[in-house]
Amino acid sequence: MDYDVIIVGGGHAGVEAALAAVRMGRKAAIVTMDRHKLALMSCNPAIGGIAKSHVVKEVDALGGLMGLAADATGIQFRRLNLSRGAAVWSTRVQADRSHYARFISEYVADIIGVDVIESLAGAILTENGKVAGVRTEDGVTITGKTVIICSGTFLGGLIHIGTKQIKAGRRGEKAAYRLSDSLKELGFEVGRLKTGTPPRIDGDSIDFSKCEIQPGHEPIPFFSHRSDRQPFEQTPCYLTYTTDRTKEIVSANQHLSAIFSGQIKSIGPRYCPSIEDKFHRFADKDRHQIFLEPEGNGTNEVYPNGFATSLPEDVQYDAIRTVTGLENVRITQPGYAIEYDYCPAFQVKPSLETRRVRGLFFAGQINGTSGYEEAAGQGLMAGINAVLYIEKEEPFVLDRSQAYIGVMIDDLTTRSTTEPYRLFTSRAEYRLAMREDNARDRLNRFAQKYGLVPEDEYQAFEKLQIQTEEAVRHFKEVRVKVSDLDHRGDRFKKVDSISLEKLLKQPGLTINEALPLIARFNGDIDFTREALERAVISIQYRGYVAKQEREIAKFLKMESEVIPDDFNFATLAGLKQEAKDKFIHFRPGSLGQAGRIEGVTPGDISVLSIHLLRHKRTSK
Amino acid sequence: MSPFVMRYGHFVDSRQAVIDEVTAVFMPEKRSYTGLAQAEIFCHGGRQVVTLILQEVLASGAKAAEPGEFTRLAFMSGRIDLARAEAVAEIVAANTEHSYSAARDHLLGTYTQHISDIRGKLIGLIAEIEASVDFPEEDISPDEKNTLLESAQQLADEIDRLMETYRGGKIVNEGYKIAIAGRPNAGKSSLFNQLLKQERALVTPTPGTTRDYLSEWIDLEGFAVNIIDTAGLRKAGGTIEKAGQTSAKKIIAECDLVIWMIDLTQRKWREQLFGDIKMLGHNNIISAQNKIDLVDDVADLKAGSGLPEMVATSCLTGRGIKGLKKVIVQRINEKMPDLTSGVMVTSARHRQKLAAARKALKSARQKIKLDESPELTAFDLRQAASALDEITGKVYNEDILKEIFSRFCIGK
Repeated sequence: MDYDVIIVGGGHAGVEAALAAVRMGRKAAIVTMDRHKLALMSCNPAIGGIAKSHVVKEVDALGGLMGLAADATGIQFRRLNLSRGAAVWSTRVQADRSHYARFISEYVADIIGVDVIESLAGAILTENGKVAGVRTEDGVTITGKTVIICSGTFLGGLIHIGTKQIKAGRRGEKAAYRLSDSLKELGFEVGRLKTGTPPRIDGDSIDFSKCEIQPGHEPIPFFSHRSDRQPFEQTPCYLTYTTDRTKEIVSANQHLSAIFSGQIKSIGPRYCPSIEDKFHRFADKDRHQIFLEPEGNGTNEVYPNGFATSLPEDVQYDAIRTVTGLENVRITQPGYAIEYDYCPAFQVKPSLETRRVRGLFFAGQINGTSGYEEAAGQGLMAGINAVLYIEKEEPFVLDRSQAYIGVMIDDLTTRSTTEPYRLFTSRAEYRLAMREDNARDRLNRFAQKYGLVPEDEYQAFEKLQIQTEEAVRHFKEVRVKVSDLDHRGDRFKKVDSISLEKLLKQPGLTINEALPLIARFNGDIDFTREALERAVISIQYRGYVAKQEREIAKFLKMESEVIPDDFNFATLAGLKQEAKDKFIHFRPGSLGQAGRIEGVTPGDISVLSIHLLRHKRTSK
Repeated sequence: MSPFVMRYGHFVDSRQAVIDEVTAVFMPEKRSYTGLAQAEIFCHGGRQVVTLILQEVLASGAKAAEPGEFTRLAFMSGRIDLARAEAVAEIVAANTEHSYSAARDHLLGTYTQHISDIRGKLIGLIAEIEASVDFPEEDISPDEKNTLLESAQQLADEIDRLMETYRGGKIVNEGYKIAIAGRPNAGKSSLFNQLLKQERALVTPTPGTTRDYLSEWIDLEGFAVNIIDTAGLRKAGGTIEKAGQTSAKKIIAECDLVIWMIDLTQRKWREQLFGDIKMLGHNNIISAQNKIDLVDDVADLKAGSGLPEMVATSCLTGRGIKGLKKVIVQRINEKMPDLTSGVMVTSARHRQKLAAARKALKSARQKIKLDESPELTAFDLRQAASALDEITGKVYNEDILKEIFSRFCIGK
């Protein structure tokens, strides 16, 4: 068996990596324990959400599968932040968990060029500093030109429920311990992170009448332009709250929780605390909200989002039954905390290839991230870069002004991991220029360059771009009589009429207000809703985007000051030892990146830039 | 050699010949002024000794420091921030009590601390706004519109107060400029010489250019004062030359204060004064009624309405000069902020950054008021923060998230 790309792990990262490699004409293998559980959602049954949805759109624009799978298997679709500007709109889909995994497993099974090998990878094989393949725990050797490790929580996975500890990558599934040893033997620094998940509960035992209903949004905000799903009846989620009694029980038993007893030493994410941590850290807050998310249409299982815990099972039972509406609830699977191994991401290049072993790539939780979307984004990039590595081409690296994927990988490779990393829109400096709606504007040329999308898709998008421009022009031409307007005309009292463009540009005008206005003054023109939305957004953001573009130009200037791979930081005179150590540790690829390393001062950058200049001169 | 212990010994050259008896001290890395390992040698003061020792040191591979290089190294090693590095330059240039104490406060970091405090509050405000954007489904309650508006206003006020100190800061750092002007023979040069004679002259902080007037620096009660004898306003055809035609006019326009000399022996001085003051077009004038020793009748010397404050002087006898100086110092002090607070903007670069931050804050406030989308407000506030960061030379980003997590219970 000889492959171009071997992917260890069949989660969200692994699947995107394999498919990207195949799209680029290469033969890939996914080594995973169960071919029917590809991209199975280990935690909450949702795709997208704040900033994560941007990544889904970017993956989609680069030919990835995640958006399409979420569209096909979603049971409820929402667009968060709709009352705000388009830069921070975020689509979130409640997916049917088992349907989602089935959809992806079947999709992959249908693709010629990807083999799914049911096994547990035990060792990474190398030859002369280059990767050569993997050996499974049962001794089978699979050879390949490149290997991508997407091991998720399986790498050295250890589940904690109260004082109980179970070696597992997911409940009831074997963890990969030998692989972790193999990484250490190769010289990788391996650290440990923690995450957690709530118990799953039986929907038939919930009194939904006591909870607040949360319906989906209409029209349904599908993720992918490739999606052909028709409107359907959405399944609602519910919102409920913990009570005083919950606080009492959780607080009284806090010492039994694995994260408080000292049993877990690694750090969990700040944005996803366990219920015991919430009551502990925000003691003045009496109640916390719990979202009841159905796991699918064919199951009664419900995911109580907000109730992650590592308390003993009996305490979990007592505590969850004090939540409003859950008084008689049955737990179908207890909540748990899980610790797993990761390799601090200073060990990978921005291409996600490891610095230590050529042809070996890391993607997903092994790089210290959390989240399906973050994993998918990295998997896709690793897959593309594995192929480019084989073809001896320059790697594909997105920068912080091009994509959230770029922001994420840059953050990972310039900062130390202090918690599992997830994206937020506030991490993106150029947020106003990087939106869901323009993901394809930003990335289509790359998709085309690397052959990730079919030619007809590319042409269809060009058509949409033209239509958007036409709509913008049209808005400029349409005149609106000020006397026909309600309070929106107040600002224009001095004139008889204004252009529709000017009307749409008014501060605070949301898309839901804009679209009816357009229809009212402009009903005869036949633009698609997508083109209209894109046109409105481009009008509203034009000034800001121009400002950000000036900032981006400054940023790119620093990014273009490339630090060569062989640059010797150790011998730089006038640089303080701490800065030297940081540079040697993170090995920044540009002056801009060097400046983003934590603890590096503007002074260090001045020294570095002088040395760079000298280096450039002498090497000429 | 143990650090920070002064040792006695002999400085020997490469052939072991003694050059001088010296004391020397060693400072290890991170604990010296520059942040680098550093040694200091103290020798006798003779020129030849110093030259010989320097030659030896340079021959063994040392490089002579350029002006400001030690501070540059201290900045680059991260021991001091940008504002403090600038303060070192100010402290070296300080030639009066006030300019020294402002520079000292900058060096001690009081000023940086003040900017950091404002920045901290700003990050807090950004966190409130970002929290609602990044966590729309969380059960958190970021500040209400009115509280946000108030916080933004408070920040703007703080920056305003800081910017207001710039006038004073400029006086402290760049000095206070006084033009002595008047009709010919009013005694301008005599006053100039009197002031020079009585006060300590300063080495000019700014190199002079070729000019048709006299300019000197004196230390007036701790302020660096630049006095300029304009000697240029001449009578031409019954009226004084029109504005902008002489360099004297230009100097006057740039001055903080004009001392208008009046010759009391001229009978028509009062009639002339109205027109002359109007022609000067300056908002800060003191009239020195000179040659008081030659006039008997002092009854009608008081200032009338629309005329500047009058001080009777005699540059010949020195009478009234003390009173004049008192009035000058009073005028300077009017422009000075409360120096005891210790925080004063003295650099034009800082003032410019503060103004940028102020402008961005104003724009953010406007957006909050009009219920514009929070990501746009955040855009303005982030620009304000990076303007402040340009003063101290810091970089933020992770700070905002850290603030959000410490304020709100996140995680549904």
